[in-house]
Amino acid sequence: MTALDSPPLRTDRPRSGFGSALGRIPTSLWVAYGLTFACLILLGVSTSDGFNPDRLLRILSNAAPLGVVAIAQTIVIINRGLDLSVGPVMNSAAILTAVLSAAPGASLATTVPLVVLMGAAIGLVNGVLLAFTRIPPLLGTLATATIIGGVNALVTRGQPRGIVPDELRVLADGRLFGTPFSASLVIWVVLLVIVGLILTGTVAGRRFKAVGANPRASWLSGVPVRRHTLVAYTASGTLAAMAGILLIAYSGSPSLTAGDSYALNSVVAAVIGGAALAGGTGGMVGTFAGVAALAFLTTVLNSFNIPSPVQFIVNGGVLIGMLLINGRLSARRGAR
Amino acid sequence: MSSATRAFRPQALSTTSLRALSRAKFLWILALAVIVVASIALPAFRSTVSVNSLLASLAPIVLIAVGQGIVVMWGGIDLSVGAIAGLATVVLSLSPVLPGGAALAVPLVLVAGLVVGLANGAGVIAGINPLLMTFAASGVVQGFALLLQSTPGAGIPLPLLTVLGTSLGAVPLFALIALVVLVAAWAWMGQSRAGRYVQAVGYDQRIATRLGFPVRRSALLVYGLSGVFASLGGMAIASRTYTADALVGASSVIDSIATVLVAGIVITGGIGSLLSILPAAVIIAVVGQVITLTGTDTYYQTIFKGVLLIAAMGVYGLADRGLKIPWRLRQKDKDASPAHTRSEPAR
Repeated sequence: MTALDSPPLRTDRPRSGFGSALGRIPTSLWVAYGLTFACLILLGVSTSDGFNPDRLLRILSNAAPLGVVAIAQTIVIINRGLDLSVGPVMNSAAILTAVLSAAPGASLATTVPLVVLMGAAIGLVNGVLLAFTRIPPLLGTLATATIIGGVNALVTRGQPRGIVPDELRVLADGRLFGTPFSASLVIWVVLLVIVGLILTGTVAGRRFKAVGANPRASWLSGVPVRRHTLVAYTASGTLAAMAGILLIAYSGSPSLTAGDSYALNSVVAAVIGGAALAGGTGGMVGTFAGVAALAFLTTVLNSFNIPSPVQFIVNGGVLIGMLLINGRLSARRGAR
Repeated sequence: MSSATRAFRPQALSTTSLRALSRAKFLWILALAVIVVASIALPAFRSTVSVNSLLASLAPIVLIAVGQGIVVMWGGIDLSVGAIAGLATVVLSLSPVLPGGAALAVPLVLVAGLVVGLANGAGVIAGINPLLMTFAASGVVQGFALLLQSTPGAGIPLPLLTVLGTSLGAVPLFALIALVVLVAAWAWMGQSRAGRYVQAVGYDQRIATRLGFPVRRSALLVYGLSGVFASLGGMAIASRTYTADALVGASSVIDSIATVLVAGIVITGGIGSLLSILPAAVIIAVVGQVITLTGTDTYYQTIFKGVLLIAAMGVYGLADRGLKIPWRLRQKDKDASPAHTRSEPAR
C-alpha cells in the first residue's frame, strides 16, 4: 500500500475558471443544500404564506441552539472525534445561568462569561481524557455525559430552580437594531463564520482536518496532535455552553433533559452537511445546511399537524435516506 | 490471528475465549466482593424480597447487554435496543386487541425485534455508520411504539402477566431466561462457525472480507439477535413494572453499553467474552440495589455508572498495552486506500 494507490486530492485540479470552481464543491454539499431547498419548497408550498422571509428567519433563529452546538460537534468530528456530552453540558449551562441570575446583584455581564468558562472547563476535561488515553471518543464522552447528567440532577435535587432575566429573553425574540434578524440568529452566524474562517484560513485550523484524516501522518509531519484534540474538545464545551444559554433564552426555564436530544441531532446535522465520522471531512458551510434542513423539515411536519409519533418516524426515515445517499456518494468518490 | 499461529490442535475452549476469560478474572472477584460486602453490611440485602427484586432488575440488563455485546463483538453498536424494549412492552399491552390474543403476543414481540434488527443490519450493510443507522432506527421504532400506545402506562393484561411474572422461589422466570440466553450466546460465539465469523469480522473486517467470510450475513445475524434479545429484555421489564411505556428503555441503551464495556469487550470488536457480562451486570445492579436500600440519592447511581465506565476503559486500556492491537493496523490500511464498501465502525 503506497500513497500512489489513493485517489488524487480534489485540490490537485486546475484552480481557474468558474466551471472548475463549481466542480471543486464536494458532492455532499450539493446533497445537503439540495435537501435544504427541497424542505424549503415543501415548507413554502404547504402553507399559505410559506415563503414569507420573516417566517423563514424566525424558523432559522429558533434553530440557533442546534446551530451553535452543531458547530461544536463539527469541529470535533473533523478532528476524528465525537462529543456526546454536549447535551448535558447545555443543560448544565442552562441550569447555571438560571441559578446565577437568581443571585442578588447578578448581571448578564458576569453570568455569561462564568457559564461559558464552565463549559470550557468541562470540554478541557473531555479533551484531556481523550487526548492522553486510548479511550474511544464515543465512550469517553458518553461516560462524561452520564456523569454530568447525574451531577446536574444531584445539584438541583431533580428540580432546577432560578430565573431567566428579561435581557436574555430578548436574545431569543428581539430583533437586532430594527433589522429582521434576531440576536440569536446573528450570534449563530457570526460564530459559524469565525469558526469557518479559523478552520479554513489559518494553518492551525487546517491542521484539525489533517489530524482527523490521519493522526499518525500529522504527528510525523510535526503537527501537535494532542494539542489539537484538546483545543477541539475545549471549543466544543465552550460552544455547547453558549448553545445552552441560547436554549434557556428560548425555553425560559432550566431543565434537566431539554438539551439531551441535541447531542445526537448535532451529529446528524454535521453528517448531513458532509462530515464523516471517520474524520477529515466536513465544514461550516455544510453544517449550516444540515441544521437548516433539520429545522425546515421539523416545521413542515409541524405545519401538517402531524402527531409527534409520526414525526419521529418521518425524521428517522429521512435520516436513514440521507445517510444512504451520503454513503453511496462517498463510496463512489472513493472508488474513482 | 495469534490463535492460528500457536496451535492447530483443537481445544475445548478457543484461545480467544481463554484469553477473554483470564481478562475477566478480576471482574468476577470484584463482583463476588461487592455481593459479599453488601450482604454483610446490609441485612436487608439478604432478604428474599431483596434478592428477588435484584434478580428481576438484573434480567433485562443482562438480556439487552448480551444483544449489545454480540453487536459490539462484530464491531458495530446498537442504539435502538431501548426503543425496541419500549415497543415490546407496548405490543404486550395490546395483546387483547390483537387477532391472536395473548398466545400470539410473545412471538409477535420477538418478531418485531427481529424485523427492526434486520433493518439495522441491512442499513449497516448498505454503508451507513452503525451509530447513526441505529439512532435513526430508534427514532422510527419509538414513533411506532408511541403511535400504538393508546395511553401511557397502560397495564399488561393479567393472564399474560401471570405467565411472564412467574417466580421459582426467589428466582424470577426472566432471570433464568437471561442466564440461559447468556450462556447459550457465549457458547455460540466461541464454538460455532457463525460466532467465529462474528469475532473475525470484529477483529478485522477487511481481512475477514478477503478470506471470504460472510460479512454481510453476519451483520444481519448480529443485529437480528440484538433486536430479539432487546425484545426479550422489554418483556422482562414489563414483567417487573406491569405497565407498557414506549419510553421505558431510554436508559437501557447507556446501561447496556456500559455493561458491555465493563465486561471487557473491546468497542472496536473481536476481543472479549460475552460471559463477563454477568459479573459486570451484577456489579452495576448490586450497587444500584444498595443505593436503593440505604436510601441514598438515586442520582449517585447515574454518576457511579459514568465513573465505572471511565475506570473500566482506563483499566482495560492499561491491561491491553501488551496486546497486538488490530485497529492500529486497520487504520493504517484505511488511510492507504479509502475505497471502502462499508464506512468505518464508530469508535
